[in-house]
Amino acid sequence: MRGLLEAELIKLRTTRTFLALAGAAVATSLLITCLVALLSEPTESSVLTDVFQSDTSGFFITILAIVGITGEWRHRTITSSLLAAPARVRFLLAKTLAFAVAGLLLSLLISVAITIAGYAILSSRDLPTPEFSDALRQIGLNAIVAALVASFGVGLGALIRNQPVAIVGLLLIAFVVEPTLIALAPDVGVFGPTGALPTSIADIDPDAAGYGDVDLLSPGLALLAMLAWIGAAFALAATLLKTRDLT
Amino acid sequence: MIEIENLSKRFGKVEAVSGLSFSVAPGRVTGFLGPNGAGKSTTLRMLLGLVRADAGAATFAGRRYEELPHPSAQVGAVLEDASFHPGRSGRNHLRVLAAAGGHPPARIDEVLERIGLADAADRRVKGYSMGMRQRLAIAAAMLGDPDVLILDEPTNGLDPPGIRWVRELLRAEAGRGRTVIVSSHLLSEVAQSVDDVVVISRGKLRANGPLERVLGSSDGPVTRVRSADPTRLRDLLAAEGMTVDAGGDDALIVRGTDPAAVGRVANRGSVDLVELVAVSRSLEDAFLELTGEAGE
Repeated sequence: MRGLLEAELIKLRTTRTFLALAGAAVATSLLITCLVALLSEPTESSVLTDVFQSDTSGFFITILAIVGITGEWRHRTITSSLLAAPARVRFLLAKTLAFAVAGLLLSLLISVAITIAGYAILSSRDLPTPEFSDALRQIGLNAIVAALVASFGVGLGALIRNQPVAIVGLLLIAFVVEPTLIALAPDVGVFGPTGALPTSIADIDPDAAGYGDVDLLSPGLALLAMLAWIGAAFALAATLLKTRDLT
Repeated sequence: MIEIENLSKRFGKVEAVSGLSFSVAPGRVTGFLGPNGAGKSTTLRMLLGLVRADAGAATFAGRRYEELPHPSAQVGAVLEDASFHPGRSGRNHLRVLAAAGGHPPARIDEVLERIGLADAADRRVKGYSMGMRQRLAIAAAMLGDPDVLILDEPTNGLDPPGIRWVRELLRAEAGRGRTVIVSSHLLSEVAQSVDDVVVISRGKLRANGPLERVLGSSDGPVTRVRSADPTRLRDLLAAEGMTVDAGGDDALIVRGTDPAAVGRVANRGSVDLVELVAVSRSLEDAFLELTGEAGE
């Protein structure tokens, strides 16, 4: 498994797509943090939510995970991957773990960057800054969320296989289906894997995240629900991959 | 040793491979021949665990590919549609495979040097020519220094020097005692480098054995004969000790026997003949007869 994981991490590091999307994630997160820190007047109670929760790694790593797994079919590298590692479920597991690690590291990089930038700008404006322990907790929660959504992205991509369809499908779920469910059936919508559950796990104020007065799940329950989504997507994808002919 | 036993595969209504059995011996180059769509790639993909067989078994010394303890160190494969991520360099492609297969990184430079791709190793694959991609695919197959090499149409798209290079590589690997099977739909591209041939058509085995015996004319005269009752005619000829193969369209190919002798046997057995001709054949003619493609 160690060799497979190493192979997947080499794949990640040796394409420009990963570097471009990771760079975009860092840039957008920093931009949001800097703009909010420069233009808003956060209070002591709102500063953590307002300035330090702009980590966009979750969105970008989910896209990257989908691109990574569907790219195996798009470029037909799935054949050489499975010749090197014929145990298909282990291959999928290695891919999932690799993107979880990548999500974790990307989120940590972004969180550290926005924390430094946020503290620097707020301090220079004599505005309140969050307790360092609160900022550290947020960094940890963001990293966990990034690892989880990356794992979900691999499962989703392995199920759909077609790269454009998978990415458009993810965007539809994130920006159309889940918001509609939150508006029409919030009891169901709170289980959404791309919005509500990551927000709950990261312990972000629902109002600040655009959920208004919807009662999101507790972080622990949301974590269990997210793991269930990942488990279901992985199990379905693994079953499909095991039985599929690579012609 | 590669062993294929009663292998069958159906895709919907299409019977791609049907009851196929043959074996491939070490230290020899075996040509796996048949026209396009004959079932060659499907057979090799079943052997490599990429396609699931409906029936039968395809094994390496009794073990399926996925059961091998160290598959890519025991079997190297170049498949017809060898594909690479276009944005990754040749060297990085091999780094991925070396890590996944548990091969030492030092092997990467060794195989790049051996296949003549060392100078282009750090260029992205999308800038490679067809020949360079094929060399990279062969480098990937040789990364684990395997005892078995499987090459599916390795000369597709190659220029004459590239084809010669592949031929020499096949001979060299067999010379080192390795088991080499190379598929092709063009006999002329492999005839100079193979020891044995397995000929298939429409998913079924047509012939199997040393090249000269299966396709050559060293057995003396060859006769093509057709009758309304080919099964009885085959039995009568076989009873006389004649070597009889199927020739497509219910025809029989009788080796080492001239038409007069075949006609006498048919006459004694009261079998009506509708065709009886002496065959003057090239290797290519023999191949086309066996695959039922002659005249198509």
